[in-house]
Amino acid sequence: MRLEKCWFCSSTIYPGHGIQFVRNDAKIFRFCRSKCHKNFKMKRNPRKVKWTKAYRRLHGKDMTQDSTFEFERKRNRPERYDRNVTENVLKAIKKISKVRHAREEEHHRQRMKGNKVMKLKEDAKELEQSIHLVGPLVKKDDMKKEKIIPLREDHRMEE
Amino acid sequence: MRTNLKVVDNSGAKRVMCIQALKGKKGARLGDMIVASVKEAQAGGKVKKGQVVYGVVVRAAMQRGRCDGSEVKFDDNAVVLVNKQGEPIGTRVFGPVPHELRKKKHVKILSLAEHIA
Ligand SMILES: [Zn+2]
Repeated sequence: MRLEKCWFCSSTIYPGHGIQFVRNDAKIFRFCRSKCHKNFKMKRNPRKVKWTKAYRRLHGKDMTQDSTFEFERKRNRPERYDRNVTENVLKAIKKISKVRHAREEEHHRQRMKGNKVMKLKEDAKELEQSIHLVGPLVKKDDMKKEKIIPLREDHRMEE
Repeated sequence: MRTNLKVVDNSGAKRVMCIQALKGKKGARLGDMIVASVKEAQAGGKVKKGQVVYGVVVRAAMQRGRCDGSEVKFDDNAVVLVNKQGEPIGTRVFGPVPHELRKKKHVKILSLAEHIA
């Protein structure tokens, strides 16, 4: 049994799942579920739909080049059955998937690296720009400690 | 009934209309045998316009379940003309055909086909 990839979202299609569409030029489009089939019928481009693998690869969200992907490649030459090889492969699968998960996590960490600093910077900027909304009574030092109490005092002052 | 089907062999017919599905009251599905009347035909072909012929549905736009539970569908509705015994009239078959034809004992059509899906 061959595990095919969905044409739209590139997820694995296990036997007995999904639908396949055969175009008149004999090109086969396989879909993992009706969601992907419907999106295909709507003529959507998988590179422009955010939840597909194609989009995530194209926009650098996922790891694209890695030696662990080589093991999962499609091979058209049938391999002769050998019990020892099969045993070794079964052992290797666990290790390979572990390595890949670790590398994916590392990729995610690298991608999210600058985010915290950026967020802090943006918050500081917003505070600077819109401090006048809170009122003249609040000093900058108080803002850092507590935000709610000076606000309430403001309302009382207005009344 | 009354479905217009493309004829994808070199029997001479271009378009036929289904007038009866052999087996089943719901109409023919992928791989079923039908009785059809020839609506358009080339001059000098093996079949003439107005003739009543038998055919096998080799492509259907409606999805059909595969033996493993997945489904398959095609671009258009197409038929290959056969005689009453199920032997094809033409000598060539164009376009893809499903491998389910083997189960229906139409191995001749499969061997003539260009692509098997
Ligand atoms: Zn999919």
